[in-house]
Amino acid sequence: MTKKYIKPLILLTLTGVILLVTSCKQAPVSQAPYQALIITGQNNHTWQGSSPILKKILENSDLFSVDIIQSPEAKADMSGFKPVFSNYDVVVLDYNGDAWTAETKKAFEEYVSQGGGVVSYHAADNSFRDWKEYNKMTGLGGWGNRNETDGPFIHWKDGAFIRDSTTPGIGGYHGAQQAYQVTARDTVHPIMKGLPTVWKHAKDELYSQLRGPAENLTILATAWSDSAKGGSNRNEPVLMTVTYGKGRIFHTVLGHAMGDSAYPSMECVGFIFTLQRGAEWAATGQVTLPVPDDFPHFNTESKWPQFRPLTLDEILANLKDYHPGDTRTNLQDLTNYIRKNYDSGEKYARVESELLRFLEGTGSIDAKNYICRELSIFGTDKALPVLKKLQKKEETKEMARMAIERITTQYTNE
Amino acid sequence: MKHKTYTEMSEPKRIGRRIFVRKVAVGTGAAMALPYIIPSSAMGRDGKVAPSDRIVMGLIGAGSQGTGDMHNFMSKPEVQMVAACDVDKTHRDAIKAAIDGKYGTSDARTYSDYREFLANEKPDAVILALPDQWHAIIAIACANAKLDIYGEKPLSRTIWEGKKIVEAVEKNGVIWQTGSWQRSEAHFHRACELVINGRIGKVRFVEVGLPNGNPATISHPVQPVPEGLDWDMWLGPAPSVPYRGVCHWDWRWILDYSGGQLTDWAGHHIDIAHWGLGLERTGPVEVSGSGVFPREGIFDVPVEYSLHATYANELVMYFANERQLPHGMGVCWYGDNGWIHVDRGNRLFASDPKILEEKIGDNETRLYVSNDHFQNLLDCVRSRKETITPCQVAHRSISTALLGEIAMLTGRKIQWNPDTQEIINDPVASRLLRRPFRSPWKLEGN
Repeated sequence: MTKKYIKPLILLTLTGVILLVTSCKQAPVSQAPYQALIITGQNNHTWQGSSPILKKILENSDLFSVDIIQSPEAKADMSGFKPVFSNYDVVVLDYNGDAWTAETKKAFEEYVSQGGGVVSYHAADNSFRDWKEYNKMTGLGGWGNRNETDGPFIHWKDGAFIRDSTTPGIGGYHGAQQAYQVTARDTVHPIMKGLPTVWKHAKDELYSQLRGPAENLTILATAWSDSAKGGSNRNEPVLMTVTYGKGRIFHTVLGHAMGDSAYPSMECVGFIFTLQRGAEWAATGQVTLPVPDDFPHFNTESKWPQFRPLTLDEILANLKDYHPGDTRTNLQDLTNYIRKNYDSGEKYARVESELLRFLEGTGSIDAKNYICRELSIFGTDKALPVLKKLQKKEETKEMARMAIERITTQYTNE
Repeated sequence: MKHKTYTEMSEPKRIGRRIFVRKVAVGTGAAMALPYIIPSSAMGRDGKVAPSDRIVMGLIGAGSQGTGDMHNFMSKPEVQMVAACDVDKTHRDAIKAAIDGKYGTSDARTYSDYREFLANEKPDAVILALPDQWHAIIAIACANAKLDIYGEKPLSRTIWEGKKIVEAVEKNGVIWQTGSWQRSEAHFHRACELVINGRIGKVRFVEVGLPNGNPATISHPVQPVPEGLDWDMWLGPAPSVPYRGVCHWDWRWILDYSGGQLTDWAGHHIDIAHWGLGLERTGPVEVSGSGVFPREGIFDVPVEYSLHATYANELVMYFANERQLPHGMGVCWYGDNGWIHVDRGNRLFASDPKILEEKIGDNETRLYVSNDHFQNLLDCVRSRKETITPCQVAHRSISTALLGEIAMLTGRKIQWNPDTQEIINDPVASRLLRRPFRSPWKLEGN
């Protein structure tokens, strides 16, 4: 891996305090193509936890360099809060708090209507009930005394979206947190292309019965809000896009973050990857990010605790003490890594030399045997000398022999 | 245990002889009809079938499936069960008690090693109900011993092993029935005849729902091998590992022995899908898809899988764990004029119920009829005709699933030549067509 380096960003906050935000970039030379701004500082959630994670997620896509701007505290003077939206390709809203000044609101409306990108993350759609244009950007919102005057309820039923403008009632609530399935309702949208139709999201809140103007709204995915868990018994929108003038908004209700502990909803590869793609689409109107191998499956969660796939070094370090019965996550990470980097060329050659170094190191026998199995599928002649050494050792001889046999035997029709 | 020698078994009281079977080879050569000694019990208390007309059978692999199969055969008056083989003494004791109990005797013979079974026993037919890693070695040894075979599905653990079984069965001219018993159920047969005769029009897509995998996350610490279990022999050609309590039944969740629910059930629902489409003796040209492998515990077979197989006629089969499919378990063919869905429990549905009333005329394609899967083998042992699920057909259902397994394990789209049975231009994926055996195990003749 390339050496990481620290790039300090200096941001002036309203109060004049200098906030140092560190930016961990994997590639020191290449500049990320797009600029993103995260707006935070007031929220009924732990924004101090979520905003740095959002920053990592965006940076880890290798598409964005990210600034964070922190608003004044609640009830403080907002008059100096004037982010320069137009410096950015996408503005990510992790903000649910006091009203912005008329000047700042107008600047934001102009930024979006003239083609700016926006990501509305989780409780951002709780914010600004009284700001009509903002609600047009998020499409649907909740809480803040929203009711039938704010717009229809929308849910999916029998193959179509139901737009319910007649039923009165408050907009926005949720049942108990749980892991739940997300179901694609638009499989051709660039953000959704190639994703499983149904995938398991990690433990999260599920916003239910949101309401809003819902103009120019495309609902990409829904989730079943189960009444047994205090939900609405409806298929509720969870991923959406909205257009506002020339601007594009990606709206995710996922990613609840509260307290100091880990946030499983934000570690979910489904949350991370749809956020990355959503931000790319909001910024550019296109999506280039390929679906990761370990995207959650129909009924299987998948997490990136580092908010990115692990490096080979990290995977091998995690694998060092593997014994049967331990978690197989590290084994699966290794398998996925090898597959992704198998190119019968230089990329795989580097992977294989790392694997061979591991085989000659001090890792557990079971970890080595697992790597021998992988080499039995992907290994090349270059692996043979090390495998032959392992074949001489009692505890690795069988798996080494299996790898040697597969590498050296051409399958024929005999 | 002490094994009876052939001489001991040839005591004068053991009269009768092996049923006269003309083993006219399908391929080459004709097998001898060997004289055989039937134990005294064969005189038969019910006396319905003369001893000389009975089909003498043995069992290799006396776990739950093998025991069930044996009882099904033993319920036929024409069958004489004489011996069983298992690496676990608990199984041997139970199976001996079952056979002796059935005949009211005490002379059922048991073996712990199939080689001793084959050296001492010369039954007409044998039931094979083994963990998959053993299928090819023992099936080929039995075929070479000229025994007719009722073999449990899936046919083999790898495609290469399946090919070798087919070759041995053809070379020796033995009769093979696969445990794909759904073929002998009327509603599966009916569904397939409706589909193959175009009652839903041209079929372009078929969904096959197989059971969901359930990863067990309980710990499996190394533990003493239970008394009476020959663990090394149970493993056979699979890698040597310490005993962790994963043996009978739970072997199905470890890739060294099985491909999990996918390969377990391919011989049922993929087989039925093939049957209804006339694809039972060929295979796909491309297989791709993905699986989810457990992240906890020691089991490593996929717990979710989602695979597509494309056939030369551009038909696509989607096979996946059933929770991902609209019709759930079973087979659903989609034709230009409707769909038909069939599953166990006499479940047969169509887009329009009138489709299910359709008559199939005598001039149309009529599929093989069997209303009793076990009787079908016995009938074919006598007639020397092909069973309803010969190994050539079973080989094609499991091959499709195994290509899916290779696609999942390599993360690659597999191009397949169903005629030469080779993966095209992919030496890495081709490695998984066979599996190195632990020394000293190998297939007879290879």
